[in-house]
Amino acid sequence: MDFDAIVIGGGHAGIEGSLATARIGFRTLLITQSLDAIGRLSCNPAIGGLSKGNIVREVDALGGQMGKLIDATMIQFRILNRRRGPAVQAPRAQADKFLYNQLAKETVEKQENLFVFQDTVIDLLLNTEGTEIRGVITERGSRYTAKRVVLTTGTFMEGKIFIGEYSTFSGRLGEPAAIGLGTNLRRMGFRLGRMKTGTPARVARSSLDLSKMEEQPGDEEALPFSFSNDTINRPQVSCYITYTNDRTHEVIRKNMDRSPLYSGTIEGVGPRYCPSLEDKVVKFPERSRHQIFVEPEGFESEEMYLNGISSSLPEEVQLDFLRTISGLERVEVMRPGYAVEYDFLDPRQLYPSLETKRIRGLYVAGQTNGTSGYEEAAGQGLMAGINAARSLQGKEPLILSRAEAYTGVLIDDLVTLGTEEPYRMFTSRAEYRLSLRHDSADKRLLNKGYETGLQSEEARERLERKVGEIEEVKELLRKRTLKERDLSAIGGDFHKQIGTKQIGKSLIQIIKIPEIHISDFTAILPELEEAHHHVLTQAELDVKYEGYIQRQERQICRFQKMEKVRIPDDFDYDTLEGISSESREKLREIRPLSVGQASRISGVRNSDIAILMVFLGRKRVPG
Amino acid sequence: MEDLIYDPDDLIVALATPWGEGALGIIRTSGNGCIEVLAEMFSRPKALSNAEGHRMVYGKLLSEKGGEAVDEVVLGVYRNPKSYTGQDMVEISCHGSLPGLNGILQSLRKAGFRDAGPGEFTLRAFLNRKMDLTRAEAVNEIVTSKSRRAHTLALHRLSGSIEERINTAKETLTRFMSSLAIQLDYPEDEEDSGIPMETESLYAAKNKLEELLKTYRIGRIFQEGVRVALAGRTNSGKSSLFNLFLKEDRSIVSDIHGTTRDYIESWVTIRGIPVSLYDTAGLRESEHPVEVEGIRRSGQIIQTAQLVLYLVDSCEGLVDEDREYLKNHNCIGIWNKTDLEGSAPAPEGFIPVSVLSGQGFHLLEEEIGNRLLGTAAPDSGAVIDSGRQKDLLEKAVEALALVDQGLGLGVPIDAVALDVKDALDALGEITGEVTSADILNTMFGNFCVGK
Repeated sequence: MDFDAIVIGGGHAGIEGSLATARIGFRTLLITQSLDAIGRLSCNPAIGGLSKGNIVREVDALGGQMGKLIDATMIQFRILNRRRGPAVQAPRAQADKFLYNQLAKETVEKQENLFVFQDTVIDLLLNTEGTEIRGVITERGSRYTAKRVVLTTGTFMEGKIFIGEYSTFSGRLGEPAAIGLGTNLRRMGFRLGRMKTGTPARVARSSLDLSKMEEQPGDEEALPFSFSNDTINRPQVSCYITYTNDRTHEVIRKNMDRSPLYSGTIEGVGPRYCPSLEDKVVKFPERSRHQIFVEPEGFESEEMYLNGISSSLPEEVQLDFLRTISGLERVEVMRPGYAVEYDFLDPRQLYPSLETKRIRGLYVAGQTNGTSGYEEAAGQGLMAGINAARSLQGKEPLILSRAEAYTGVLIDDLVTLGTEEPYRMFTSRAEYRLSLRHDSADKRLLNKGYETGLQSEEARERLERKVGEIEEVKELLRKRTLKERDLSAIGGDFHKQIGTKQIGKSLIQIIKIPEIHISDFTAILPELEEAHHHVLTQAELDVKYEGYIQRQERQICRFQKMEKVRIPDDFDYDTLEGISSESREKLREIRPLSVGQASRISGVRNSDIAILMVFLGRKRVPG
Repeated sequence: MEDLIYDPDDLIVALATPWGEGALGIIRTSGNGCIEVLAEMFSRPKALSNAEGHRMVYGKLLSEKGGEAVDEVVLGVYRNPKSYTGQDMVEISCHGSLPGLNGILQSLRKAGFRDAGPGEFTLRAFLNRKMDLTRAEAVNEIVTSKSRRAHTLALHRLSGSIEERINTAKETLTRFMSSLAIQLDYPEDEEDSGIPMETESLYAAKNKLEELLKTYRIGRIFQEGVRVALAGRTNSGKSSLFNLFLKEDRSIVSDIHGTTRDYIESWVTIRGIPVSLYDTAGLRESEHPVEVEGIRRSGQIIQTAQLVLYLVDSCEGLVDEDREYLKNHNCIGIWNKTDLEGSAPAPEGFIPVSVLSGQGFHLLEEEIGNRLLGTAAPDSGAVIDSGRQKDLLEKAVEALALVDQGLGLGVPIDAVALDVKDALDALGEITGEVTSADILNTMFGNFCVGK
């Protein structure tokens, strides 16, 4: 064998996958169509966001790279939803996408055990029975053998882009698609489908009138995504907000027949949550305006990204409608918006380890599985890499549960339910979100990262210290009671509104009042000043939401009962008499690992799950 | 869908003997740890927790730990795996009176037992290889027998509309969750991310569920029946009325005062309601010791009856004793013997009846029905009948009360959403399931969001 593992594709999934196998100690080859495009941010120049920011921190806790990359290249940082509750807050950062891309490339290049090579994979090498992976075949006819292969093709597998009447085989504007791989996977028996996504125009900053827009600065203090960084010391820039108007919508309506989306040339399914401007105008005719976030693509770059108005209308129409927008009257387009259609593999053909059921040793991650988003790709890439490595080590795969990580929710949804549209993570997809806060990702996952070999002893000690400090802060609050003279020291609204009624109570009780924050007490409890921001936040959240967190834990206990009932991989569903044929069909296809997973398959009836339990119970050794 | 109805680790309880008065009743419990839980509420905790399997333990069952005695019982102890279900089991032999059985079941529920689903003991037996499973279809039938039961009798009509009502509440909560989901999934600086929450509809749903919960009393009336006692001075026609209800000569009827010296009990159906009807000894001063004892016992029966039918001989008219009695009990006054000459016209509030001719009997039946069911008669809507439904509805209402409390205190919606989910899960367990995919679908169907 030439390599232990080959990772196909150098996007956000491929980076995490290849770094993971190499760092765990396996000789890895990363094959990508363009070395210069490693870690490119094809769409939005930002990392994180609601639930996505949680995934970035999960990737970091497990020992992945994304958090470190964005920490070193961010040009604006914000915690979203500061005014809302803890489970819906998340970090988001604008990236200098050119720096990000460069740092990603350098990181994989410098990684020990990891070889990077520019070529295009168009076919897979299998054993004679076609049941096990042996390696890959490239466009130029080269063959590379490996024991494990991770497929992360993004939008490049049979990719095709559309701008009005123009279309060409590309995965990204100006970058050729990988033609043939999709066809070969179909020949091997895989079920593939087509998906579509789109991106807006990039425009020249100097052609915009930013004074007509609303400025959106970053937070005063930028916080790191990575648990290994304490602070971020980088210059920050602003984004801007403007809106479409009736004239914009009029231009679009008039030219609708020239949109490949509506003329029928695109067959792939687009994301409902991220509609193109054409879709928004058609589906919500009553709306007189749509919001646009104007985001810089880099600290020095002139390119600005128009978040919210992706379009695949002809270039001249794009220019026409852009110039109707306030602040964009004299806009110059640098790259047009476009739609891209690509092959994806129905992820129900995968185990929760992300290994395919059809071909042993072949793992699939990222957009290839029908997802959308850098963070979703990174999470899957990391898990595919970890599990490819673990299988080389002869170990059980690492499978994160829905109650311990958004990444667990993501993969469970994909392999159990599949997806009809590009799958994006949402906070509401996670049932146990109060336990999946971004700030607790290290507590949830760092030790698992350590077990896989991706986290250092030092990182573990840092976590232990942090957990200890959180307890110390809580103890400080518990011991200290509020006295009359504290009120003037604290000052502000606290003094007038709340304080007088709380005298004699311990601070830990007072923090349970929603309007009160731990920071209110720094004046009377100077020790708090020494604690790190993260420590204070977590201590406060733990105390404030204690009752809710306990109730969430009870919900998780109920959930885990069913997850713990394992189904053997070789379980023969044909021996299961009395269940509906639809349930049998679905169970046979998904091959769930637990009764819990089985119960989430759509169309499988409750009573059929009970029968399954009966059979599993019979097989159980008595006693 | 994470909650299966049958969690084999739960402690479950069910009455094993028919629901009705008998010399003995047997209540069966199963679930590992049930012996210890019962020992906590037993007069001789050590005797029970140290008992070997297949042993009987005598003692008093308490209402709770340190509580008062509910009944004298004999407990049959079975230890895992040597039991019907393969788990720890305790069979409680107790007195077979309906209130007594009810009291024990309620204490057990408080202690953490839940009402077993249909076939659940058997299902556990299968799960633990205690029973040879020849055909899986049989299990399927057991598991689905809940809906088959629903096809019987009036329950069919009732459960259909329960499901409808719960589904309505579920839809409201799902819509509410969808409006929460907008806030969960889109940051506050995006347009449209601040869709107002329909808290009013949430409270309306809570009220509806509470109303439904109140019908549990009626559900129990249909399932367990009620005690109705006949009372009145001697020779007012109690036994004749009793027989009229029975439509058979079961009591000895004569015109000698004091014939019914003790009480006689029988099950009859009045307006579809199962009624345990008691014919009691007539109220009068007596020195005969047997009769005195009979009157004393009758007095007890009347005290515990949910409704008393008080007969007055219309030829004799009301005396102070009658008036006193009617004032102090939940009574229907019956103006009997209206067919006789010399019968006075019925005073207000009395139902004129001739037990002999049957005249006025239908009016009486109607009045009994109205009095037992109250205003929320089952014709007006759904009635819940099972303890499981009641437990789950209570859970849902409690969770919604926490939502109310949370929103009132200004707790952020992501935390509050957790209690909405608990409520939805509880309702989902009664009727079907709600998944987060449903919530997203509703959301995308109704709102323009996203960029």
